[in-house]
Amino acid sequence: MESFEALLEESAKTHGHLCPGQVVGVRMAMLGCRLIDLDNPKSREQIKKLLVYVEMDRCTADAVAYVTGVKLGRRSLKFMDYGIMAATFVNLDTDKSFRIISTEESRDLSDIYAPEVAQKSQRQLLAYKRMPDSVLFRVQKVNVNISKYDLPGPTKQKITCSQCGQVIRDGREIEKNAQTLCKPCSGNCYFSHAMEISWPGMNWSPVDEKNGNSQPGLKKGIALNNPL
Amino acid sequence: MFKKIRVQDAVGETLSHDITEIRPGEFKGAAFRKGHTVCDEDICHLQKLGKNHLYLINLEKDEIHENQAAAILAKGLAGPGITWKDDPKEGKICLYAKTDGLLVVDKANLAAFNMVDEVMCASLHSYTLVKKGQQVAATRAIPLVMNRTPVERAASIAQQNGGTVFVHPLKNSKIGIVITGNEVFNGLIDDKFAPILNKKIVELGSTVSGIAFAPDDESLIQQAIEKHIDNGCDLILLSGGMSVDPDDVTRKGIQKAGASEMHYGAAALPGAMFMVAYIGGIPILGVPACGLHHKVTVLDLILPRVLIGEHIGKKELAFLGHGGLCMDCPECVHPHCPFGKGM
Repeated sequence: MESFEALLEESAKTHGHLCPGQVVGVRMAMLGCRLIDLDNPKSREQIKKLLVYVEMDRCTADAVAYVTGVKLGRRSLKFMDYGIMAATFVNLDTDKSFRIISTEESRDLSDIYAPEVAQKSQRQLLAYKRMPDSVLFRVQKVNVNISKYDLPGPTKQKITCSQCGQVIRDGREIEKNAQTLCKPCSGNCYFSHAMEISWPGMNWSPVDEKNGNSQPGLKKGIALNNPL
Repeated sequence: MFKKIRVQDAVGETLSHDITEIRPGEFKGAAFRKGHTVCDEDICHLQKLGKNHLYLINLEKDEIHENQAAAILAKGLAGPGITWKDDPKEGKICLYAKTDGLLVVDKANLAAFNMVDEVMCASLHSYTLVKKGQQVAATRAIPLVMNRTPVERAASIAQQNGGTVFVHPLKNSKIGIVITGNEVFNGLIDDKFAPILNKKIVELGSTVSGIAFAPDDESLIQQAIEKHIDNGCDLILLSGGMSVDPDDVTRKGIQKAGASEMHYGAAALPGAMFMVAYIGGIPILGVPACGLHHKVTVLDLILPRVLIGEHIGKKELAFLGHGGLCMDCPECVHPHCPFGKGM
């Protein structure tokens, strides 16, 4: 694995800015990989051995993803929306799993670890670099019960929603009133009032770019308005 | 796991912790020690201490008794120069100075340690001069029974950097003094500085190897410094000429003598015009004139630290600020006052 500073620099570039959360995330990932015996998680040999569950969608999550190389699309990155500054690192080969929690006290202790820095965010950033892992984190050995439908690899199952006909992958269907439903049809869904629409320039394709036509709305410098 | 029993049913049982007795103004200590077997005669005494029930403890896997916890914590906290006995009293272990010296507390470690739930350590202020055998800190696990993991985590935090509490013996240094100023050099007034500096140096266990006098001439001050270095001094104190007047050239003399690092100005009063410089690793301390008037100045805060080998730079002088204002009491009680203890 690269050095902490090198990882932090690249992680901050990928994330968009350097912040205390990046420091915590890089260190959390380095510790997590160390605990599950992966020294180069992005390598071909190790990338398929690793699953990471992040429990927050904050700067720290991006740093964890950068250092470990886990990705949502690879199914190696799992987002558990707990609002907790924690992540669990699973070695699929050995079943070793450790949950690393960023300590709340580390925020209070930044005043004493970097007292020479007046600006709060910069003080935290430096303090989080100076603190030992034992101050910055608590670690739990955990068992992670991983469904076969959550593992990386090809789709394990496809089922069709009996209400709307949508194909549902990997066991995400809901059984309700003797029907097999997708989540939107089951009512357990993050959106509402869905209504199919048409939109300006709806026949555009990337082939048009080759013919000198960029996306219609962009070409005319106007926003794509909801036609409804 | 705890089992609560009535004290009158406890005859024959073994006490699971020390039981403290406090007689105001007379006694505070363990009336009964952990491991004591309760007998008939104890019942009345226990009831007088307000104990109508006792706990019987059956430790579960991963649980430890407060006494075991205190020993783990003490071991983590104790750095070089610290001694302690694995004989907790009332769940507490005291840490003592193994030698005379300067107490140094890693405050970040201490704060992080105390942020772990259910453990505590309290110490004297960092940079307190202590005597051999003096208590400098104490630690305890707060509950009677704890999980082993947080105790070990706290101990690990405490052990970062080799411990949290240290006593460093003061080096027996050979110190050269340079008294600057035309008024003294030309005999217009008697020097009062050298005896004051000499007393402070001797009290800290070092020796004054020579006292040189120099006028307000940067070259002659340079020569006086170089002579002390040639004579093998490992620390040099200069007095006077540290202010802002045209005749105050001591700093220039230090610079001419080859100072590689110079820090002028300390966040302490008295002592704002203090200077720390280094010539080939030898510390050079420029003591402003306030040292003549005030019993305690910035010199008393910094000299012991120099004598334990601490490198004093801008940060160390700046961090004196909080608590660096002497209250100028009619009767000075330093070190039993806040001066220099807010760092």
